Formats: sequence, structure tokens, C-alpha cells
Amino acid sequence: MRKHIFAKVYLSLVLVILYIPIFYLIYFSFSSGKNMNKFEHFTFAHYQTLFQDNRLLAIFLETILLALLSSLIATVIGTMGALAITAVKRKSHKNILLALNNVLMVSPDVIIGASFLIFFTALGVGLNFGSVLLSHIAFSIPIVVLMVLPRLNEMDFSLIDAARDLGASGYQVFSNVMIPAMLPGIAAGMFMALTYSLDDFAVTFFVTGNGFSTLSVEIYSRARQGIDLEINALSTVMFLFVLILVGIYYFMTKRRAKKGKRMLGGMIK
Amino acid sequence: MDIIELKHVTKRYDDGFVALKDINLKIESGKFYSLLGPSGSGKSTILRIIAGFSSPTEGQVLFDGKDITNLDPAKRQINTVFQNYALFPHLNVFDNVAFGLKIKKQPMNKIKPAVRDALHMVRLDGYANREISELSGGQQQRVAIARAIVNEPKVLLLDESLSALDKRLRKEMQFELRAIQKKLGITFIFVTHDQEEALSMSDEIFVLNDSKIQQNGTPVDIYDEPINDFVARFIGDSNILPGRMIKDFEVEFTNQKFQCADAGMKPNEKVEIVIRPEDLDITSPEKGKLVVTAQTQLFLGDHFEIKAIDADENEWLIHSTNGCKLNERLGLYFDPEDIHVMRLHESQKDFDARLESYEGEDGNE
Repeated sequence: MRKHIFAKVYLSLVLVILYIPIFYLIYFSFSSGKNMNKFEHFTFAHYQTLFQDNRLLAIFLETILLALLSSLIATVIGTMGALAITAVKRKSHKNILLALNNVLMVSPDVIIGASFLIFFTALGVGLNFGSVLLSHIAFSIPIVVLMVLPRLNEMDFSLIDAARDLGASGYQVFSNVMIPAMLPGIAAGMFMALTYSLDDFAVTFFVTGNGFSTLSVEIYSRARQGIDLEINALSTVMFLFVLILVGIYYFMTKRRAKKGKRMLGGMIK
Repeated sequence: MDIIELKHVTKRYDDGFVALKDINLKIESGKFYSLLGPSGSGKSTILRIIAGFSSPTEGQVLFDGKDITNLDPAKRQINTVFQNYALFPHLNVFDNVAFGLKIKKQPMNKIKPAVRDALHMVRLDGYANREISELSGGQQQRVAIARAIVNEPKVLLLDESLSALDKRLRKEMQFELRAIQKKLGITFIFVTHDQEEALSMSDEIFVLNDSKIQQNGTPVDIYDEPINDFVARFIGDSNILPGRMIKDFEVEFTNQKFQCADAGMKPNEKVEIVIRPEDLDITSPEKGKLVVTAQTQLFLGDHFEIKAIDADENEWLIHSTNGCKLNERLGLYFDPEDIHVMRLHESQKDFDARLESYEGEDGNE
């Protein structure tokens, strides 16, 4: 019993420490002062300036568009990649492919960003939305592969035989059996890709040009001139946005679990 | 009429392993067949070739007289009940059973009654909206059968379909499968390694070993007249001893001569004799044809299993309703018909011809 209480206290403490900086930020977004030294009095003024700041709002929307688009494309490519890796028969070849995939996962963002910059300049590709999108897709693919692969590995391949036995064509087997079996992995992979794209700074910083910027890069460049409380307001909005995303994901998982189906799983971040 | 025929089917894998060697078999319409053999004997490979999941390296598969060797499994009028059932976990019972009909783009007003009938057939009325994960093993088995029969196949293949069930449920399903087969009137091909299962359900059994068909025939034929010691050992318990055929209807083993019911062999030919343990009756040593000493005894509920040894150190297995004392001298009595003589390396064709030759004479069978 004592042990139980200790565990609870410990867990609460960890969570509090993790969340204090965020709530500190949110708290001061309602302060009328110019900085976070002292809470003056309650105001929505920073939210007003935020919603009048067309440049920031445009960047906010573009960031979300970028995240949705890159995660969607990465999910399609990553799922096909996972299928291809499963189809490889030789164990050694399969391990090499997996290792190549994992190297991309663990290599530092700075290196990936720098290499993309060199790559794009060498090809003469302009640095804009397109270049950022391409690099976001590229670093999201490995995570999708990693999320989908376990689903394929634990899939019962006699299901494919069963579907063919019942008259399904190759495409019908894929759409009626393979996709549903992979779906939890695909959903998890897409969600991970979405968050990766949303919070990436290092890679984006290298490959953005003049015309395009994401929130993280924009906040960084503004913070260099001293933090404005408008950023706090923006952070609050972002926090709520992510909270909603997690909520949606949670309800998706819940609903499936309730129907007696497998949980959407594999969240590691 | 033969619905399926395999002609000289050989299956060789890339790594050189030969799973089937020159298999020839004919399956008649409307009967219950079993492919019986130990694991690795090739029985599941035959099933996969009939279903179309695997194609033979050599040979032909005929369905209703037409060559279907390379036909896609989706286009065959054959459905399979898989060993692990292979039910689609993301679909409920109704959608699982309806899968084949939906693929064939049947209208919903036809699918619904067909699924209901199929579920009724396997006694799962009212389970249509259950999830697969909510079902027990036996119920999943039934769904798998319903999913196959709803497509009205001409042949239903069952791949070790009862092996995952507990003993009581398995017995129950054996009766039910047999009843379903009778009701539908279609051909069932059942793959199993359980000889009891094969004996109790089948019209005809193919015994497989070592990638070859060892013997085929009715359960009674195979039990009473096994062609070689593999079949004799695999189907039921047996006492197998080396012997010598003195002349027709007389055989020698354990240095004694006995009357028997077999003929058609060369004089003094070396043979193997089989006596089933339940055909041995225990009497007093004076009345017995053989005298043995009881070594061990097991009580198995409906009978005792006694192991005994004769003067030549041959081990005898005896099934008896009454027990005996250990180390007691027992007389063994058996009728001439209880002795079954097997020639070494006799093919099924020669075996059948020989049986025909002398059983025809005295008008038996």
C-alpha cells in the first residue's frame, strides 16, 4: 500500500515538473505586462495582437498544411515501404533495409537538414514550401515504416490465402484484408509523422528560403529579438491544438477497443 | 463420377525438398475423404495444390475433367477451412461469412438469407453481429465452416480443422461435420494426423507417408488389411512380427505354424504378420495358441492395455476388458482371420489384385 502511494506521488511530481513550463507560458499569455517577470493584470490583448498578426496566422496555417500534407504523403510511401520490406525473402537483405531505415531515424536533425540544403542547392532547387515539404516527407517516412512493420509481421498470412480462396482478386486482398490489418499501424504512423513535422525545427531551419517559414522557425527568429508575450498566446493556441489532436487519437483508439478490436498502438513519443 | 483427379503430381521446392512424389488420386463427388498422415507427410501440400495456393512441379490437377493446374484459387469452385480458421479479425461474424458473396458482388437481399442459412447450418443462429474476438474456439471453427459453405462450393477442404479444439469439442464437431457433409451432399476432403478422427468420419481414407500415398480404401479396409507396417502402426495399435509363408493359408511365426486367411504368396516367402491387440483373447496357458508372460498393465477406462513377452522375447500388446496379474503366464488365443499377413514392398495395385484372386474363390466379401 505504501509503495502504491509512493508511486503515485512520484508520477504526479514528474508530470507537474514536465507541465510547469508550459503552464507558466500560458499563465503569462494573459498578463498585460511586456515580459514574464511579473503578472500585471488579466487581459486578452496578446490574443488580439496575435489574431491581427496576419503574417503569423498565415505561417500557422501553412505549418499545419505542411504537417498534414507531408504526413499524408509519408504515410503512403512508408506503408508501401513496409510492404516491400516484408516481401523481401532473404533475412540478411531485410536486416540491411531495416538498418538503413533506422539510421535515418537516429541521425541528428542538423545533419539531415544540412545534407538536404547541400542536396537542394546542388540540384538548383529553390528553397521554398516545396523544399520544406520534400524534406519533411523524407524524415517522416522511416517512422511510418517502423509503425506499420510490426502490424505486417504479426499479420496472419493465411488471411491472404483465405481471401483468395473466397474469390478475392489481388487488389481486393490488398484493400479488404491487408489495409485493415495494417490500419492501426498506419494511423499511428501518420499521427507520429504529423507531430514530427509540426515540431521540427532543425531540418526546416536549413531548407526554408525567403518566402516560406514554419512556426518553429518564426518563433525562433522573433525570440532572438526578445520574447514577446504574443508568442505565449501563440503557444497556448498551439497547445490547445495538440491537445485536440491527442483527444481525437484517444477517441479513435477507445472506439476501436470498445468494439473488441485491436487498439491503435505503438505510440512511442 | 470423379470431381477431382490428381495425375502424377510431384512437388519439389527450390531447396530441393520433395514434398510429393508422383501422387495419383481420384476424388468422387459427394463423399467424405480424409488425407491421413504424420506431419511432413505431404498431406497439407496436396490440399494446397487442390485449393490452388501452390502449384505442382509436375503433373496435373483435374476438376470435373477440366485441367485446373494453373487456375487462380479465386476461380475454383473449392473453398477451404483453414487450420487456424483465418477469420478476418476486423470483420464481425456476418461480414466474415458474407465476404465471398460480397466479393462476387451479390445483391444484399441475396447475401442476408444465404448468410443466415449458413449460420443456421453450423448452429450459430443469432451470432451474426458478434465480433470474432468474442467467440470461443469452437464457435470460430463454425464461423470458418459457414464462411466456406456459404459460397456453395463443390468441394470443401478442411486443413487439420479440429486439431485446435479440446477432445470433447472435437468429438462433437466430428459428428457435426459429418452431418453437414451429408446434408449438403458435397465432397469433403479432410486433412488430419489423427487416425481416430479419420476412421470415424471418412468414407475413404488416403494414408500418406514420406510424400507418397501408402494406401487408400474404406476405414474398415485400412484397419483390417493394412498394406505395410507403416499403415499398420499408424492406424491403431498393432503387434507386428516377422514371419514366413509356408503355403497358402498357413504362416509361421515365433517358430510355430498357424492357420491364416491370406494366400497368393510364394511358398516360404518372408512376410510380416499383424495381429491387432483387441483380437488377442486371454485364456489359460494350456488353451492358448501362444504363451506369454505379462510385464506391464495400464488401466485405460474401457479396457486394460497389457504388455507381455513370449519365449522368443517378442513383445505383445493385448487389449482386454479384464486385468491380469503381473508376471502371470497367459495363453493367447486368436482366430485365423485375426492374423493379417503383409508382403514386403507390395504396391497397392498388386495387393488389391492378390486379395481379389483368393477372396473371389471362396466367395468371401
